[in-house]
Formats: sequence, structure tokens, C-alpha cells
Amino acid sequence: MSTLIDTRRRTFLQTGAGMILLALARGRSAHAADPIEIAMQGTPTGARVWFRPRGLLIQPGQTVRWTNHDAGNSHTATAYHPSNHGKPLRIPRGAAPWDSGYLMPGESYEVTLTTPGVYDYYCVPHEFAGMVGRIVVGEPDADAQALRQESDPKLSAATREGFPDTALILKDHRVD
Amino acid sequence: MIKTLFLPLAAAAALAFAPLAQAANTASDSFAKAPPAAPYKAVSSLVKLPDFIPGLGQLYVDPSTLPAGPFLAYDHDGKLVSTIYMIPLANMKPDMHIKDLASPGGKVDHVDIMYNAGHPGVEEPHIHIVLWHIPADQESRLAK
Repeated sequence: MSTLIDTRRRTFLQTGAGMILLALARGRSAHAADPIEIAMQGTPTGARVWFRPRGLLIQPGQTVRWTNHDAGNSHTATAYHPSNHGKPLRIPRGAAPWDSGYLMPGESYEVTLTTPGVYDYYCVPHEFAGMVGRIVVGEPDADAQALRQESDPKLSAATREGFPDTALILKDHRVD
Repeated sequence: MIKTLFLPLAAAAALAFAPLAQAANTASDSFAKAPPAAPYKAVSSLVKLPDFIPGLGQLYVDPSTLPAGPFLAYDHDGKLVSTIYMIPLANMKPDMHIKDLASPGGKVDHVDIMYNAGHPGVEEPHIHIVLWHIPADQESRLAK
């Protein structure tokens, strides 16, 4: 099954122009579903960083938007895929990967996911600190468990422990 | 890559920081006001980070000394406020031995040591060792 991924990136809310764009985006949203927000956050000293929610259930065709709310750091939302820094495959086979690149404070990035399955992603500078997330689109793909069993040994303990349980995501739809 | 850069740090530090050692007691004109003289460069020009980091200030570093630093931090008025070292946790092993790191900012008022989860440039958990050149009650001017 093919996947259509639409990505857009923009500076967010910092300027008057940003406010105008926001107003336009809100106008558009009257005809399209609002993106589901995932915040990139951290403590003031940078001791802890995280995605919130870190686990999310969406339906095929829904859009997710990551926004950096961390005033002192930059973050990425990067799919686990061999084309992204040689990382192991942890998104459905055939689905297109994404990489937001570094988002500065106030910037955001959107992806629309259409292929059902489990998608794992990470923040490039904070993967070792366990800043990772999981999105379930519709329902888990047939290979979801096998892909993770195969690649878990390649990840650090902090990274593995950062992923919310898929069953919990399916049950609660959102895991902070 | 970070590990590769870091491993010879103890040996390289003496060479890299030797010119700075002469300025260890008082901040020279080269460091007292932003921007510091070459080879220091703004961290925000080297990696994707905000130009002014709340709590730390505007950072400059000699790229050849990454990831440890020293990083020189300045307030909104361009005044030097701290010298910072960033040491990856992965390097804190029995054979680690770093000595004679310079403090080009001069007199140290107090020291903070804090954990950092990582950021562009030092993309792994590490320790910030902050040598403050201003009193603790003036750190608030770096809050935003």
C-alpha cells in the first residue's frame, strides 16, 4: 500500500506575519481537520526533554504537527527508517519516512500519515536521552512486532524505554 | 564522531588551551565583550541552536575544542558571564583525565554542575560545568 505524506514547515507565532498565517490556517481549518499537536518540550536547564503526547492513535489521512515549545533547544521529529541516518526500520513497510530537520523554538512541522501501522520516531540530538514517540495509524501493521524485536537490540536502553506500549496507545488513544 | 574528538582531549587540551592560560586570572579584552576574538565563533553559527539560550546566554566556542569547550557565555549587553565545559557522560570512565583547562573569563565567582540531555553539537547526555564570573543573584538577567 502506498503512503501519501504531505509535509510543511513554518515559523510559528513569533511574528506578526506568523499571526497572519495562523489566522489563515484557522480559516482553512473550517474545511479540513485540524492537525493533531505534538509538543516538543524540555526543562529550562535542558536536563529533560520529551514529546507530548509521546504516544498517539490517529486515523489514516490525519495530520500530525510537531511544534518546538522549548525556548533553549532545537529538536527534530525523525522517522526510524534506514534513509534517516541509517536507523532501523520501525515504520510500516512501504510507508514513506520523514525528517523535520532541526526545528528552532516556535517552528513546527506537519506530516499526514495514510498507511495503517505503527510509526516510531525520534529527536536526532535527544535519542540517547529517550526523546522518542510512537504513532499508531488505524491499527498495527502485521510486521509491527517483528520489526521492533529485530531492531530493539540496536537501540539504547533509554531509547527503548521511551516508547509507550502500543496496547496502551490503542486503549487510551493518547499517552503523555 | 564526538567520541573520536573527545578521546584525545586530555592531550590536546594542553596545546589547545595553552594560549588561553595566560588570560586565566583576568578576562582579557579578547574575551570580556562579545564577540570574542577568533578562533571563537557563535555557537548558533555552527549548529542549529537559538542565538541566546535562556539560562546560559549567547554562546561562543572555538570549534577545534568541541565538544568540551570552553564555551564563553555573554549576557544581552555582550558582557561575559560564564565559561562552560560540556563533558559527555559516556566519557566519564576510569581512564578519563582532563587537566589544565583554561578559564579565559578570569575570576570565577561560583560553579554550577548540571546534567543536560543533549543538544545540537553535543548530541548525547552530558554534564555542563559552568564557571560563573558574576554573582549568583545576577544570573536572573539571563533568564530570557
